Amino acid sequence: MRREIASGIALLLGTAAGAQPSPQAPVLYRRAVEPTAGFKVYNPAGTVRVVGWDRDSIVVRGRVGRGERFYAGSSARGGKLGIEDRAEGVDSRPSDLVIYVPRRSQLSVKTVSADVAGVDVSGWFYSVSGTIHLSGAATSIDAESMSGNVSLDVSAPWVHARTGDGHLLLRGAPQDADVSTIAGTLDVATPSLLRGRFASVRGDIHYVGAPPPNAIFEFSNHSGSVDCLLPREAAGVFDLSTVRGDIENGFTAVRPALQPGRGRTLRLDLGRAGGHVSVRTFTGTIRVRGP
Amino acid sequence: MTTPEGIPHLTEAERQGAADGTLASARRRAVDAHLSACDACDADVARLRGVIARARASEPPPAPLDALWPDIRARIERQKVVPLVPAVTPNGVGRSRVARVVRIGAGLVAAGLVAALGMSVVARREGRVVVSPAPVAAAPGAGDARLASNPADSSRLYEQEVQTLLDELRLRRALLRPDVAARMDHDVRVIDAAIAELQDALREDPNNPALRQLLAASYRQKRDLLRRVDDAS
Repeated sequence: MRREIASGIALLLGTAAGAQPSPQAPVLYRRAVEPTAGFKVYNPAGTVRVVGWDRDSIVVRGRVGRGERFYAGSSARGGKLGIEDRAEGVDSRPSDLVIYVPRRSQLSVKTVSADVAGVDVSGWFYSVSGTIHLSGAATSIDAESMSGNVSLDVSAPWVHARTGDGHLLLRGAPQDADVSTIAGTLDVATPSLLRGRFASVRGDIHYVGAPPPNAIFEFSNHSGSVDCLLPREAAGVFDLSTVRGDIENGFTAVRPALQPGRGRTLRLDLGRAGGHVSVRTFTGTIRVRGP
Repeated sequence: MTTPEGIPHLTEAERQGAADGTLASARRRAVDAHLSACDACDADVARLRGVIARARASEPPPAPLDALWPDIRARIERQKVVPLVPAVTPNGVGRSRVARVVRIGAGLVAAGLVAALGMSVVARREGRVVVSPAPVAAAPGAGDARLASNPADSSRLYEQEVQTLLDELRLRRALLRPDVAARMDHDVRVIDAAIAELQDALREDPNNPALRQLLAASYRQKRDLLRRVDDAS
């Protein structure tokens, strides 16, 4: 990687120059930083796109909403940048930022309604109602939204994701995952996962794939369903239990056992080398299906 | 993004490299050729060069480290308050040995304090349930995995943590955005309804492990929700 010698400077046309702000003023910021620098990014409304690249510098481009102010302050080890919060009760106008950072840098990105997209970046991503979409390779991902959709298509040792009503999609090649929703649908389609905890209160959970050998998965749902769509060659042990719901086994001929007062249970031992999957619901239906 | 002739514009990395002169020579020729034909990229690179020039002009001149070091060393020496040369006590026992014993003792106490602090930090993060130090390399959430083995305890401990978070949020509720507060209230109602159903079921069947595990999971959801709200404020 090349190390640039230029220090950072922000060029903000319009608002910074004191001129009448145009509807969206362009912003350009550039600074040489260390490969593992950390950055805190805040943009209340609009979009934030973060790209990890092979240069030891941070570059910010974009357009700042009318009346909004861009701030940036950093050293070689990292810093803060984004759009200043407006006075209480005033909604911010949308600003669109594209941020290039070294691949190994650690980010903390926070928005209110702005959508977040990231490629080859790691760290903490948070939005109140905006969507979060992350892809590429990462060292760790922590993505949370109060009500927005969260979509992860990443290769990472560890992934943690939460949303309320939003749709949560986990793909790619994470190794450990802890993901949950409150009422949103949770879709999991990844073949490489070794440890997984998937939970919802009343959102449906869909899992597509086959747990690899030695994998341990735990599904938990209160009133939403848990659907496992398995390939024909799926292996391992599936322990299914529901207190007041149903268990539908469309994969083998084994029928669930009814324990008086305790609901239904079903243990599917598919043999061979496979993982262990436990599924628990209160009233939600559990389905295991084949191709 | 392409030019009117359908040629792709330079990438961000190529433009940055053209502006600060860090492109490899083979790539530089291709980039230069593009710049001579594309006004948009040429103007952008010129703008970047302007930014770099202004940044360099505002930088203080670099001082060579060798020139700075004697002054730094002198300041460090002036601020030293403990003599580094060991003194000898009248009874013949080197003070250094006494000091070494004191240092070892202090070190042990400090190590104990650090270990205790580590345990309390982990315990606070994971619901005050960890009674042994967590492995240094444990991933976040590893404490929660341990909770799964004891659902009865974990429900109670999650509940305590939830109550603490609720108390804190009650104090700061006025600082929450109205839409966040409304969203929190809605989601808390959803989770509380689930918790109430599970508690009713547990009253009928108190020794049902599946119910206890589901209850622990619901409390965990509530704790995570309150932490999210905390992050939003």
